[in-house]
Amino acid sequence: MATKSFADLAKSNASKRGMPHIRACFTPHPVWGKTAEQLMAYVEGDDPVSGKPLMKEIIDGLTVPLTAEDTKTGMMDVNVGPPVYGPDTLDSLQTHFLNNGMTDFLPVIIPTPEKVDAMLKGTSHHPDEVVGKMAAGAFAAWTYTVKQVAVNAVMAGCEPEYFPVVLAVASSGMAALGSSTTSFAYSMVINGPIRDKLNMNYTIGAMGPFAQPNATIGRAWTLIGKNLGNGGIPGDTYMGSQGNNTNYNNIVIAENEKDSPWTPFHVQKGFKPEENVVSLFAGEDIRQGHGARRAGVLENPMFDDQISDIFRTLTSQFDALVICDPLTVKRLVEQGYDTKEKLMDWLWKNTQRTAKDYRDSAFVYTFHYPRALRGEEPYATWYKCPEGTLIPYWPKPDNIVLVVAGGQTNPFFQVGNLTYRVSVSIDKWM
Amino acid sequence: MSPALLAGAELQAQQPKAAKAGKSPAAGNAQFEALNPKGSPPPVRLIPMAPRLDTIHGKTIYLVDTGFMSGGVLLQQMQIWFNKNYPDVTVVFRKKAGSYMEDDPPLWKEIKEKGNAAIMAIGH
Repeated sequence: MATKSFADLAKSNASKRGMPHIRACFTPHPVWGKTAEQLMAYVEGDDPVSGKPLMKEIIDGLTVPLTAEDTKTGMMDVNVGPPVYGPDTLDSLQTHFLNNGMTDFLPVIIPTPEKVDAMLKGTSHHPDEVVGKMAAGAFAAWTYTVKQVAVNAVMAGCEPEYFPVVLAVASSGMAALGSSTTSFAYSMVINGPIRDKLNMNYTIGAMGPFAQPNATIGRAWTLIGKNLGNGGIPGDTYMGSQGNNTNYNNIVIAENEKDSPWTPFHVQKGFKPEENVVSLFAGEDIRQGHGARRAGVLENPMFDDQISDIFRTLTSQFDALVICDPLTVKRLVEQGYDTKEKLMDWLWKNTQRTAKDYRDSAFVYTFHYPRALRGEEPYATWYKCPEGTLIPYWPKPDNIVLVVAGGQTNPFFQVGNLTYRVSVSIDKWM
Repeated sequence: MSPALLAGAELQAQQPKAAKAGKSPAAGNAQFEALNPKGSPPPVRLIPMAPRLDTIHGKTIYLVDTGFMSGGVLLQQMQIWFNKNYPDVTVVFRKKAGSYMEDDPPLWKEIKEKGNAAIMAIGH
């Protein structure tokens, strides 16, 4: 039983899992926020999809004998179309890709065999090598080869020299389009000499549309999620209620290692400075720091306090990714934070809220409460302690990630409500 | 709809229709091929549905809350409804362990051993 808004998803997902005739019933939508009396009216009312009384539907579902179709066994192939489209005009192919859900609804570079062959020259790996598998939610994962990734890299507008970065991202198996009703955002942090080799932008406008590698590598991640991971189909594999504009090309951050006194992120994760690494994040969104308390003080701005204040607007279901302009970092060093770790530790200790505020969070109820019930710490303690107890936003300082990007036109910072997931070697895919 | 469709269903991911004449003179009529950008889905193994009950009278039905907001409250109303309308049905309410994304094998084992049917409520 699900709510009406999930009718298509329930049937489609059951089909993909081998039960195309599953007996599903539906209540009106939503149930969240309704009183017990209102929900009893749902129970006593009609299934809004079938128009029949809900409880009769349920009892029929349990007792009406199965048909031959219901008990069928065997295997069903999934058709994704022919390996090659055309020959046809570029306009017609563009329209076909657009109308068949293969794009981000912006024009793509048509992946002709010649362009894909050129892209494949960006890696030493064989075109038929399996790169990984991906699912944009609780679905069966699709697999893909180097060549299939190359097709999507071409479509995104990547140059062949960007291809190892795209392959590294694809090899993670992490889709940049989640299926949740929450409209998730995704981010990648790129470290190492490849940032300069590809002319990635990490100075003025670092996170804006001002450099081809930043723009297209991020876009390729979205296309990979759609085409290789079967994500991003509204009502089917994508249920984000409001959508997220960052999904067009995600939040691509080439760390400004040159202007940072701090340890680069990939080195924090155990890689050598000369290694090329892409690190992936997932979560809610990204916001600028201008709304923090005392963000407009004229002397001695306290950026630690400002960052902490923005943290108070985040959900602790996801972690914090703080992107500091090098000018901000200079001031933070003046404040005494000559390492990222010192600032992470201060922020963790000094960003707190009451246990009641924590427990009133929907995300906390959904994801942390079950862990608390299992006795998992610190969630068990955070659920047991008195309502007024002050607790940190996250279990440990490592839940806060600091990176540096920007062109030093002003000492600003941005905060993503994003969780670090994985770091992948780019060099491995060269 | 996804261009990836189960065999036998309506197929959209076919060859493109011919371009409309004169739509974009700049692009000309040159002909190109394009590679399919889709990944490789695994085949779907059909799972036969469990045998149905002849009646729910005298049976034990589990109501399983998967942890979505208010799903448990809805099922508790359903339990009240069963108690009122089918007093000879034993209704057992359970909150599945872990978040909605996690499996709960001990509960499935319990339902198989002690229950005759189960109803799951999935958000929101």
